[in-house]
Amino acid sequence: MVSVGVARANEKLVELSKDNGNWVMNGRTYEAQNYSPLTQISTSNVKNLRVAWSFSDGVLNGHEGAPLVVNGMMYIQSPFPNRTFALNLDNPGRIVWENNPKQSSAARSVACCDVVNRGLAYWPGDDTTGPLLFKNLLDGHLVAMDAKTGKTVWKIENNDIRVGSTLTQAPYVVKDEVLAGSSGAELGVRGYITAYDVHTGAQKWRAYATGSDESMLIGKNFNITNPQYGTSNLGLETWQDNGWKIGGGTNWGWYAYDPQENLIYYGSGNPSPWNATMRPGDNKWTMTIFGRDADTGMAKFGYQKTPHDEWDYAGVDVMMLSEQRDKDGKLRKLLTHPDRNGIVYTLDRTNGDLVSANKIDDTVNWVRHVDMKTGIPIRDPEYATYMDHKARGVCPAAMGYHNQGFDSYDPQKQRFMLGANHLCMDWEPFMLPYRAGQFFVGATLSIYPGPKGNRQTGEGSGQIKSYDAITGKMSWSKMERFAVWGGTMSTAGNLVFYGTLDGFIKARDSRTGELLWKFKLPSGVVGNPITFEHKGIQYVAIYYGVGGWPGVGLVFDLTDPSAGLGAVGAFKEMAHYTQQGGGVMVFSLNGKGPYDDVNLGEYEN
Amino acid sequence: MTIRMIFSATATATLALAFASPAFAAYDGTHCKKPGVCWEPQPGYPEQLVGSKYDPHFDPAELAKQQESEDAMVARNKARTAYFIKTGTWVEDVNQIPK
Repeated sequence: MVSVGVARANEKLVELSKDNGNWVMNGRTYEAQNYSPLTQISTSNVKNLRVAWSFSDGVLNGHEGAPLVVNGMMYIQSPFPNRTFALNLDNPGRIVWENNPKQSSAARSVACCDVVNRGLAYWPGDDTTGPLLFKNLLDGHLVAMDAKTGKTVWKIENNDIRVGSTLTQAPYVVKDEVLAGSSGAELGVRGYITAYDVHTGAQKWRAYATGSDESMLIGKNFNITNPQYGTSNLGLETWQDNGWKIGGGTNWGWYAYDPQENLIYYGSGNPSPWNATMRPGDNKWTMTIFGRDADTGMAKFGYQKTPHDEWDYAGVDVMMLSEQRDKDGKLRKLLTHPDRNGIVYTLDRTNGDLVSANKIDDTVNWVRHVDMKTGIPIRDPEYATYMDHKARGVCPAAMGYHNQGFDSYDPQKQRFMLGANHLCMDWEPFMLPYRAGQFFVGATLSIYPGPKGNRQTGEGSGQIKSYDAITGKMSWSKMERFAVWGGTMSTAGNLVFYGTLDGFIKARDSRTGELLWKFKLPSGVVGNPITFEHKGIQYVAIYYGVGGWPGVGLVFDLTDPSAGLGAVGAFKEMAHYTQQGGGVMVFSLNGKGPYDDVNLGEYEN
Repeated sequence: MTIRMIFSATATATLALAFASPAFAAYDGTHCKKPGVCWEPQPGYPEQLVGSKYDPHFDPAELAKQQESEDAMVARNKARTAYFIKTGTWVEDVNQIPK
């Protein structure tokens, strides 16, 4: 008999997340700031950072996300076939358990952008059920694992690969429910988010991104504070010819949660197909920042960033929460979101009020600016895309000026550390039919570095920036050889850490952007660093293993520049700097770690 | 060719040129029918898809497949979780769940 616990596991998770020894969820806490108060490693000694230990998970392809660290254990998640490993930080050389699911390899063929996975979620347990770890499988299952043994407790079907629907997102735990998103807008999948009971796997609610208000969990109070964003019936009214049924809007990015408001925050993805001429209308509610009640799933607000998308600016990027004074000196609860479309949005997270919307780089050209009163982006028709026309020099490219990277916020400095892309494109759509299970894109792309990069060599496609969401100013900005794809992590040691596609982990002074340290990893990075303290030592850990969308040329050995949805040409130089890999590297000052005692873990006769 | 026909052809060409120019009232997102409904066709492009040059000719049977698949998954999950709540045993294959 499985009963439903009464203890507030949610509060336990909040408590665990604030412990510097843990990193219990993606983003570290519900504020999703990827920020640690640890100061042992600082600007003055970061040059002494060395490898303490490492682990290969035995899988190639892109290693997105980051490990979790809970109560002295590290949990590692691989790309397809989505193996999970538990290591004890006292002796990481011994694998405590492994969960290795069997999946149909057919799942690989409907993954748009490498067979990545963005990580795990942890639920601390209650009176009736022990601690659980959750993972999504590429083949569409959500799995609950016993955190102590790794054994599968329950496993439900969330997505069907036969209709092109997969799962790459990390699950997210709020209270006693676990959220699963969806992937597959490149195959015409209509997106949905689902909440399940952690104890039993029973479905609590499901909300679609398009269609009827009822199916989207939109009620009469939706956008009550900002009716200019649009209110009822728009999931049908802003589409033609039942296109909403294959309208995309999948959410495969990240979440944040505010326990006081009881709202979860996330973004819905791009509409399908990429050929915008085939779907007249604003295509709501794709490309939308949602605030939804955690218990019921009902949407409190929804702000559509990119009405009638013409560039695949999938709006799923990271949501970082903060409390800051606005320009009028009023203390506000905020949400900051660097979008694919090149705009960094800051909203009041209690009601959806638009607080700021600034270009992440001045070379963004599809939009002149965002009208702060109406929330409407004022489009520049010169960079529109439509049938029988080849648009040129559109910035950002479909890969966005920001993609799936999980960035950080330093609450002391009140600055967002943004890992950005600097990529523009030419785009020409074409007509195509919809067949369930087949790709439904309908555009040919050529992607290349933006105006500040080098279009001849294909380098200079990334930036890292320190952003003030209230003034809209960048405190500093640095160019990178390739897109900063994996996100950033900040610490109270005045450091910002991040990995690069060409295979480095780097540390910069978060006040000035000065590069202070780097280390050459075995392969490029598409995940974000984490940090934690164990037995008095501060560690920094990061996955290596290049892949994801920028890595598809390298991973699948493609040479046609327009292959990989345009990414092959954009990253043709990458193979000169890195090859595939897969694992985790853990750093500490002077490499101090468990094996300083050279006899630890030795065979004893 | 008569004068009248030449005039007519020129007028049509001029009109077509005007519509093809992006400067001619191109869609910039600011002309809204109501809040949240601000789409306009590009100049020279159809307002309605069906019957136009760009009609996607969607097959209703194909469009229905996703919802059918999702409903079936929900039904199978319900059978699994119901048995799990009752017995504490997870049986993934719904055909193996005792009635």
